[in-house]
Formats: sequence, structure tokens, C-alpha cells
Amino acid sequence: MTLKDISPGESCVIRNINLNNLRKRIIDMGLTTGTLVFVRKVAPLGDPIEIHLRGYSLTLRKTEARMIEVEKSDGVKL
Amino acid sequence: MKLALVGNPNSGKTTLFNRLTGSNQSVGNWPGVTVEKKTGKIRTSGFEAEVTDLPGIYSLSTISLEEEIASRFIQEEKIDLVINIVDASNLERNLFLTLQLLDTDRPMVIALNCMDILQKNLDNLDIEGLERELGVPVIPITASQAHGVSDLVAFISQRDFSAQTHVHRYSEAIESVLSCFQSLLGDRFLAVRYFEDGIKALPSALITQTVLDELEALRAKHSDDFELDMDMVLPEDRYRDIERMCRRFLVKNPVGNRMLTEKIDRIVTSRWLGIPLFASLMFLVFFLAFGPVGTWITSWFVFGMDYIIALIDKGATSLGMAEWVSSLLTNGVFGGLAAVVGFLPQLMILFFAMSLLEDSGYMARAAFIMDRTLSRFGLSGKAFIPMLIGFGCSVPAIVSTRTIDRDADRKVTTMVIPFISCGAKAPIYGVFAGALFFNYSYLIVFSMYLLGIAVAILSAMLFKKTIFRGAPANYILELPEYRLPTPKNTLRHTWERSKSFLVKAGTVLLGAFIIIWFFSYFGFVDSTFRLLGKDEIENSILGFIGKIILPVFKPIGFASWQSSVAIMTGFVAKESVVGTLGILYGITGDVIQNGSLLYEPIRQAFTPLQAYAFMAFALLATPCIAALSAMKKELRSWKWLMFAIFYELLVAYLVAMAIYQLGSLPLGRLLSVILAILLGTIVFFTIFRIIKKKGVVCDSCSGCNLADNCHLPKKIAYDKTPIDKKSGDDHEMSD
Repeated sequence: MTLKDISPGESCVIRNINLNNLRKRIIDMGLTTGTLVFVRKVAPLGDPIEIHLRGYSLTLRKTEARMIEVEKSDGVKL
Repeated sequence: MKLALVGNPNSGKTTLFNRLTGSNQSVGNWPGVTVEKKTGKIRTSGFEAEVTDLPGIYSLSTISLEEEIASRFIQEEKIDLVINIVDASNLERNLFLTLQLLDTDRPMVIALNCMDILQKNLDNLDIEGLERELGVPVIPITASQAHGVSDLVAFISQRDFSAQTHVHRYSEAIESVLSCFQSLLGDRFLAVRYFEDGIKALPSALITQTVLDELEALRAKHSDDFELDMDMVLPEDRYRDIERMCRRFLVKNPVGNRMLTEKIDRIVTSRWLGIPLFASLMFLVFFLAFGPVGTWITSWFVFGMDYIIALIDKGATSLGMAEWVSSLLTNGVFGGLAAVVGFLPQLMILFFAMSLLEDSGYMARAAFIMDRTLSRFGLSGKAFIPMLIGFGCSVPAIVSTRTIDRDADRKVTTMVIPFISCGAKAPIYGVFAGALFFNYSYLIVFSMYLLGIAVAILSAMLFKKTIFRGAPANYILELPEYRLPTPKNTLRHTWERSKSFLVKAGTVLLGAFIIIWFFSYFGFVDSTFRLLGKDEIENSILGFIGKIILPVFKPIGFASWQSSVAIMTGFVAKESVVGTLGILYGITGDVIQNGSLLYEPIRQAFTPLQAYAFMAFALLATPCIAALSAMKKELRSWKWLMFAIFYELLVAYLVAMAIYQLGSLPLGRLLSVILAILLGTIVFFTIFRIIKKKGVVCDSCSGCNLADNCHLPKKIAYDKTPIDKKSGDDHEMSD
């Protein structure tokens, strides 16, 4: 399952980052394995998506989200 | 004393820098690259220090140009103290950079910013605890209100930091590997950087091949010690430490400002209201700048300028100055300046609106909303607003590309903005369409706007596929919390942008105007070289050149020297094209206010086809000199400016030639209509195919867990060589 598959309003936990390009940026911005991520919404035109993690909001494209392996979590909204 | 200001984007770094240095600032470039370098001086009684404002960064790993600059500056420059600005309202992510900075041996102080937001959110932060844990002084401040800034200065000026030592300990497994690296590299920071980023983090000149081989063998061996990939190990460890610290020292109140931001965003970026809101906001900005308000202010401004010019003219005559001196002053210097400074009120309104949007945090939302439209053309969402402003005026549009964070995207956007039909080009269409196309004039004008957009988009795609290859427009954007912009900051930003434009107008442009004045007001009449009147432009050097280069314009349908001269005066300001035509056709009266005066001469001189090619050329050719100087400022290199000028001229010429030549074929109109439809369809499908392909290109197959049920045609997926992380993220630009 990837971050792209998580619907808005759901949370997940990062399992792995399979990105090559942008990989380091994503990791350094806090998407390390085990991080709880709340998917807040999808932009009006369907891409990018807004996620909430570590107390801040980050937006990224689905192309990138597709390469982030996650596991669904019942964790409450951050 | 030398200080460096380091912090995340949006952490209030620039505000603190302005507070610290007041007006003692200077802006330059980092040598060899195109990132702005700001230095300033702190001056209080008995204390003086030089502060360098480093680019806002999330990490010291060299991902982008900005990070590379900051990282190298900290390592290589003799800095006495690093001031790390940390946004207390976004502590977890901000501390990541702090822990990286602790790996360096530079003395450091943490300026904990946004304490007001923390208080408003009713969060509780144990600052002393944090200070103990990090081992460096932490000074709470609120830069936006200047709270604590003087304490920070006092603290810096009174302490001796040269003996400060600090270290951030990683887990034992990591530390043992680090010490191996450190023994070979001789420096802990280098060891950390090598651990994290491998060989590309090392300054190649300093390390011999044998050491390098040894290091690589060690790193390969130890990579089995960890479950994660090597580049994830340290970030993971840092964030674990940060989480622990935040749990211990920070008690977050679940309600507060965060809720406010979320509530605003529920409307501002919502599925149904997001785009209408964005559109109305943009309409409002345009309405203020180019609608009745802006026009009204501008008309007063122009009135004032005209008054000054008349005064100077009078003064010069009464003082008995030579005729050419008074012409130089009125027509050259002040006439030119009036043409450029004339739109200063509108520029300032736009700059003001931009600053408001940026300072409040809306700009990031606009990029979020519009990213999808632009990602298809290889640009990032942040390019949308600059391109939109381009419909009003290229100058503020080009200036506002500065909000785009990546150099390659910024350059591409800057170079395609002039294709978008700006307000000053509208009179040209108005006159020609009105004279020759009668009932179809609206369609013709509309087609010009479409042509501009199409050429801008296709050029952006072309640039992205050729010269900026390997630099995909990355989009990773933080949505900052909404903040109420302070009047002082907004005005300051507005003024800074206006000032840089005015300074240009007063220096580079002035020289250009004098040259153009000389070309249009001097010439041979009856074999004597003398000053000419306004109605004698035919005999001027410009007129002479216009006649000589007319053959060049023949293939694109220019039939008279008047058209080539008029096009050349468009270089000063696009409005001049219509004005010059008026003069050349000997019309008395204001042709700009009353275009219909030009209808008759145009009907005689142009066929509809020639007029259409002329309009297309005027739309696409090199922009006015004010836009060029803005481009020079943003591209920061003559080479790129020359390239942009050449490219724009070439495109304008080719498009106008295609229009004219195809339109003149036998069966003329019918054929050209069919061809236009055919071309349009081809262009549309090409774009469509590129979009389709673009959407599914992966970075590489290695490490992709989808490899077994890859949704891509295998060929595309495997042929695509992995993009080198560093060059993929930020394209190195040679200046």
C-alpha cells in the first residue's frame, strides 16, 4: 500500500521510501519510517495531496506519494 | 565578529535579519551561482558584527543549490557564531536542522522564534530543559514584533563563544561507524555527512583515492549493520531524538491557531470553493491594478510627468539651451522615464498584493491548488501566479518569479512570461482588429491571447525537454500556518521590489533611452545631419534602419517601412507601436486614446493577413526594455538574457512567417483555416501525449515494490536511467 492509496481523513504509518529523486528531501522533512501521517485532502484538481505530520502540513504530488510505502493506521487525527 | 543566520524556510529568518541589521544591508549573489546573498551589520554601542542571511533550508544535506550553499558556507567560511532560528510553533521539523548544525563544530545560539504563536496556542515549552538537552543557549524571541531581539543581540555581544563545544550523540551503533569514518576523515561533521550522503558529500580535492576506497569499503561493510538504507539511518535517529525531546519539553494544546489555519483551509483549498476563490482573488488583484483604481492613479501620475516635461521644455527654452539639449531632456530622458515609470503605480499595487498573499501564507495554497495544471507542462504550481500577472504586465510578473524556489523553474518561467499578452500590447490588437476585421475583431483579439498562451506553454515544455533536461519540476511544498501580515513587512516588501525597479529605470534604462532618442531624433535631411522634429521620424537613423531591414521582414508580411520602424519602437514600450504608426502616417491627434484615427491608413497599408502576422510578431517578439531589465535581474546573467531575446525573436519570426506564408498560398483563407485547425489538433494531441507519458514516468525501477505488477510499459520503465539525486533536484546553471 502506498501513501497515494490512503483516502483523505485517514492516517497511515510510513514503512519505506522508494523514491530516488527527492528521496532525501522527503526523509529530511520528517517522513521517516514509523512516522504517523494524516492525509488531510486532495487538491481541487485531484493532485497534489496535503498531508499532516510532525505538527505541520506538507503537500506533495501523487507521483511521489506513489513511491512511499505505508501501512494503514487507526491512529487518530494528528 | 561574523555571524551566519541559518533556519528553515518560513521560520521568520528574513524578519529577524531585518530586525538585526535595520537598513545596513546589501544584497549580492553568491559567487558563481544565482542565489541571493544578503549581508548586513549589527551596530549597537560598543558592538559590531557582520551577519550573513543564508538561504532558507530544511536540511544540511546537499539536495538543492540553496542547501549546498548553506552547508559549504558553514564549513568553509570563518564564522564566529551560527544563529539558528527555530520556529517554536513548528518545533519538531525545525529541530532537525538544529541537530545537523550540532554536528558541526561552529559555536551556535538558537533563536527560538514565534513565541507569540506558542502563547496564543496555549502551548507550554520548557526552554531551559531544551537548552540543557541541546547544550547550546536558547533565546526566545518574536521576530515579527521585535520581542527579545535586543536580548539576543545583548547576549551575543556579551558572551565569548570561541570555547563553546557541543555534540549531538547518535545511537551507539551509529557512533561506532561514525568514529571509523572520523578517524579517516579527521572531522566529525564530514564523517556525518559521508555517513548520510556517501561520496558526493565529500570535497573531492581533500581526499586521496586510497582513503576514498577504504571509506567506501567501510561504508559498504557497515551498511549491513542497519535495517534501513544508509541515507535514512541518521535522519531516523535524529527524529527519534527530537520526538523524545518534544514529548519531554513541549506540551501542546490541541486547540488554538492550528485549528484556525485548518478552518480557513477547509474553505480556501476545498474541492468546490478552492478554485472559484482563487479566481476571484486574482480578479480582485487585477481589478485593483488594471481596473478603474489603477488607471485613475496612473492617469494622475502621467499627468504629473507630462507637466514636469512641459516645465523642463519651457525652462530649457527660456534658459536659451540648445535645441538638442531640450529635446534630449524632454523626449529622451524624461519621455523615456515617463513611459516606464508611468506604470509604477500599477506595479506597486501588484507588488503590494503579492506581498500580502505571500506574507499571509496564501501563496503556498495557490501553488497547491494550481499545481496540477502546470505540472503537465513541466512547471511547478508556483509559476501560475507570475504567469497570470503576465497578462497585466511582464515586469511585476517576472519579479514575482522570485517566489519559485528552484532556479531552473524560475528561469523557464521568466523566459516564457513575455509571450503572454500584456496590457500594453492590447492597443495594437485594438487598432488592427478594429480597422480590418470588423465583426470578427473580438475573435481576432482573443486568438492573439490564445496564441500567446500556447507559445508560452509550448516553450516551457521545450525548455524542460532540452536545456533544463533532468530537472523535473519538483513539488514538495509546506503549507505554512496563516499569519496576519504586518503592515510594516508588507510595505517593506512592496518598497524593496519597487525600488529595485526604479533603480534600474534610473541607470540601465536611462542609457538605453538616450540611445533610442538619438536614433529617433537625429538623421540626415538634405544631406545635413541634424536634430529632427517629432514628425520627421522617417528621416531619422531609426527610419533609415527600418527601411534597410525591411527585406528581412518581407517574408513575414511587412509591406512598408512604417511597420518595421513601429515594431522597433515597441522596444521602449509596446504602447509606442501604435503611437509611432500614428506619427508615421502623419496623423495629428492621440491615436492611443482614439484608435479609429488609424483605421484608414492601416486599411490602405495592410491586408488582413499582413495585419494578423504583424500582430503576432508584435505579441511574441522581444519584450519592452523594462521587461528585459527585469529579466536580466532575475536571470542574473547576460548569457541567459541574450538567449531569451534571441529565442523570442526567432519564435516571433517563425510564427509570423508561418501565418503569412501559409495564408498567402492559393486558396488562401480556406487553406489557412484548415491548416490552423490541423496544426491546432496536432499540437493538442502532442501535448496530450506528453501529459499522458509524463504522468507515469518513475524515477527508477530499483527499489520499487510495484516492480512485479508495474503498470507501465516495461520499456519506458526500464529504459529510464535513474536520475542522479543531486543533479536531478537542482540543475547546475553556468553563468
